[in-house]
Amino acid sequence: MTNYYLQRTARAILTIWVVITATFGMIRLLPGGPLAQLEAKLLRQGVPAGQVDAMLQTYQNVHPDKPIEVQYIDYVVALLQGDLGTSISRNKPVMSIIADALPWTIFVMVTATFLIFAIAIVWGALMAYREGGSFDLFSSAASIVLSSIPFYVIGIALIIVFGYQLELLPTGYRSTSGIDPESGLLVFFLDALDHAYLPILSMVLAGVGLQALAMRGNAIQVLGADYVRVARLRGLPDRRVAVRYVARNAILPMYTGFLTLIGFNLGGSVILEEVFNYNGIGYYMFLGLDNRDYPLMMGIFLIITTALVISVYVADLTYGLIDPRITTGESNETY
Amino acid sequence: MAQTDHPDDPIATLEDVSVTYDDGTSFVLDGVSLHVERGEILGIVGESGSGKSMLASSLLDAVPDPGYLSGSITYRSDDETIDVLELGQSELRSLRWEEISMVFQGAMSSFNPTMRIRDHFIETIDAHDGNVQAGMDRARQLLADLYLDPDRVLESFPHELSGGMQQRALIALSLVLDPELLVMDEPTAALDLLMQQSILLLLRELQEKYELTMIFITHDLALVGALADRLAVMYAFDIVELAPKQQLLSNPSHPYTRALLNSTPNLQAPLAQMRPIEGQSPAPINVPSGCSYNPRCPLATEECRTTDPPMDAPAPEHSVACFYWEKAQYEIELNYATEQSGGDYS
Amino acid sequence: MKPTETDGGEQPSIVATATDEDGSFSFEYDDDDIEITHRERARELFDELIYKPAIVAVKDRRTVIGGLIFLGYLLMGSVGVLFYPAPTSNQVDRSIAPFSTMDAPLGSTAIGEDVLSMIIHATPEMLQMIFAGGIFATGIATLIGTVAGYKGGRIDRAITSFSDAAMSIPGLPLIMVLAVVFRPSNPWVIGVLLTINYWAGLGRSIRSQVLTLREAPYVEASRTMGVSTWRILRKDIIPNLMPFILVNFANAARYVVFTSVGLYYLGILPTSVENWGLQLDVAYKNAGALVADGNLYLLVFPMVAIMGIALSLILLAQGLDRVFNPRVRTRLAGESESITDDADEQRSTELIH
Repeated sequence: MTNYYLQRTARAILTIWVVITATFGMIRLLPGGPLAQLEAKLLRQGVPAGQVDAMLQTYQNVHPDKPIEVQYIDYVVALLQGDLGTSISRNKPVMSIIADALPWTIFVMVTATFLIFAIAIVWGALMAYREGGSFDLFSSAASIVLSSIPFYVIGIALIIVFGYQLELLPTGYRSTSGIDPESGLLVFFLDALDHAYLPILSMVLAGVGLQALAMRGNAIQVLGADYVRVARLRGLPDRRVAVRYVARNAILPMYTGFLTLIGFNLGGSVILEEVFNYNGIGYYMFLGLDNRDYPLMMGIFLIITTALVISVYVADLTYGLIDPRITTGESNETY
Repeated sequence: MAQTDHPDDPIATLEDVSVTYDDGTSFVLDGVSLHVERGEILGIVGESGSGKSMLASSLLDAVPDPGYLSGSITYRSDDETIDVLELGQSELRSLRWEEISMVFQGAMSSFNPTMRIRDHFIETIDAHDGNVQAGMDRARQLLADLYLDPDRVLESFPHELSGGMQQRALIALSLVLDPELLVMDEPTAALDLLMQQSILLLLRELQEKYELTMIFITHDLALVGALADRLAVMYAFDIVELAPKQQLLSNPSHPYTRALLNSTPNLQAPLAQMRPIEGQSPAPINVPSGCSYNPRCPLATEECRTTDPPMDAPAPEHSVACFYWEKAQYEIELNYATEQSGGDYS
Repeated sequence: MKPTETDGGEQPSIVATATDEDGSFSFEYDDDDIEITHRERARELFDELIYKPAIVAVKDRRTVIGGLIFLGYLLMGSVGVLFYPAPTSNQVDRSIAPFSTMDAPLGSTAIGEDVLSMIIHATPEMLQMIFAGGIFATGIATLIGTVAGYKGGRIDRAITSFSDAAMSIPGLPLIMVLAVVFRPSNPWVIGVLLTINYWAGLGRSIRSQVLTLREAPYVEASRTMGVSTWRILRKDIIPNLMPFILVNFANAARYVVFTSVGLYYLGILPTSVENWGLQLDVAYKNAGALVADGNLYLLVFPMVAIMGIALSLILLAQGLDRVFNPRVRTRLAGESESITDDADEQRSTELIH
């Protein structure tokens, strides 16, 4: 058991290390790679050759003249100290950009993922209870149609309808310019909500269908299980059977999916936040990609990866606590 | 011991009980009539697919949807007679588990995998408005009677118990409300032979201690032979022969019963003498007309193909649904010596 | 239930054979039965994998509708591009409303490109990416999952650790970074790039299925007979996984559609080819003007194209899942099934043991 926790922790650390090393390799070692491009760009801009090295150093903690292993160690040590380099396009430390943007993204994505699961569980359970009826048929069809639309297409459609045509909600940005926590917390919060409705709604609409179908499948399976039949014969009230037997056993397998979907959705924020001009980490990653701003791009990539690794890690470690059947840590068969 | 020890005091009587699916076109139980004596252990033997599980579910009016149950089932407790199929939802709820209880096939899947065994007992007592304290004391006693450590078992999740322990815990759960009648559907099918034997011994002890009436349903003739007072043989969704155990084993009268005994592994009969029964047993949608066993029966005549044989009585308390039971008794040889019969069963 | 080898050649070995779905065994006392068993199994496989699924597939509306829609895209991407002229600027009048002229049935853009032509000519690359991504993802997943699951031990641990690590890297950002660094333009390469770590999760589910299959009696029989691992994987294991692989091929394909359109929309993939994502990008950049001018069709048609192909793939995946996966069969079907199951058992075990 302890062994499992140790192994699992080692694997999480190993994954992050692999990704760090891969980003280092991509930036530094590829011929004609980002670093060479940056150097050429600086030279083209007329920066004296003598200063180029110094600038590279600030941007990426790189000392091109040092041996490669020393460069690598410097890079890793800087990362561990929270130094992700300096953004070329914004001329600010990448860490400060992330610190400003991350809470917004987490707010949108965690809320969206939570809503997806809350709705999917209720909807899927209802479908299962009325299996074969017209509600089930209609709902299944609706789930499939919703799942066939990418979230960013839903986002664009929502902006056109609610932003431009009905002019009910803002068409972009994470808050109205001029409104910040100093203009009153409630005002600021409501304004932030206004800007978050559509991004959250587009994630929820696009994501809820497949999860509801998964819940429906789980619930149908549990409803057919012997222990549910025996529970009814033992005379348990329907409510108790529905909650303790059907819901509990159908929802548990979705737990790991919930946590990993949060991490996964953080990755989707790149497209979502570009559509909504929403200044979260995805938006800045897009800027980094668009401007070939490698420090910014790689820094955010590392953050998103770490978030996903941690959420899968937490899912694996805690699943044994909520599902009594799993005690030895063979829980991760949820994919 | 059953018939003689207990006067005519049926605890449950089934008359012409049928279960149909597909709007009455396929019968999975075809007009079964049967009575169960108070205090006896009745063994019901049949192949899988002969309708024996359906018979068990019928006793609790718990036929899986969309099956339709017809006929009449009366249950007699000490002072009143209950027509089971006429009960409303809440009456049915209290009849089940309080009067008639059931142990299903596959104990492994009968417990909620995410709940401790203790909670299964508590919620059952609760749902029937019982006193939880007294009920749990009884549960502990039952578990101890079944040679389980009550504290350990009650604290466990189902998957933490072995198959045999789950099976015994399930039997304890079925008896926690002190029912009169316990219906068991293949309760030992998933267990190894030694465990089966020990559960049989425990069931016998429980039956005497708590004055239970038991119906034990199985495909395993040798197994139920060791336990039951009376035996009923099912074929194609109906009972074809019913007799006290000794009578049935020493004097089986239905050709199917005789074939069944001949196909049962027996230490005394060499393997070469074991006879599989030729042909297949019918599916619910195409039960042959007349006697349902006629396509496989060596004695079948035109009469068997057209007319459903009524119950005949070769001996008191022995009934058989065959026109030619006398002929069967000498024409279909048993591969074990009749004198010895029962010897290895009882 | 491990089959036992006997020392003397005289005595026949006892061979365990699977008799029906519920996994019950019968023991046969004859060497010849091995041949029969394999032939029976081949027939059983044909029944299970081709005949029955085909019947259910045709009965399942989802599979039929999904298949027809996908066929439409296939025709559009193969025959359509041959007969319908490619989009260029000023090929028709600028900003024609849709359904007004046969020159540009779905209207034209502000620089006079035929919208229908743009949609048709984006299809071949999309299909190439779908096939490249689908084959790559399912191929790698099958290879890795079967080897890990079947071999077990150290190989399993190594492969599982590797794919767990790959699975923990967020797909979309990784693809974006790689796309920016490597700038791929060949649709087959893009397809592979898009599924660069999609295989990991799938490989893992395949592994756990193989873990179960590995213990199947006929696989044990093959192993006891000294059949090589590779042959067992090819003949016994992978055919049984095919349904699952097919379902996931459709899922991977849908993922490729969503991701590629998203990346084209962001402008991260090269803008030299036609893509529905590019159309979305160009149209959405002028969203305010579109609403004012009533030119929303420029957004709507590419959206419909994306939804259509995704819908066909999801319908196929869901339908195939129902076809192949008895686990999702309905409660009602489950009940009647149990009755027929009982009847089926009679075929194999007439003996009451």
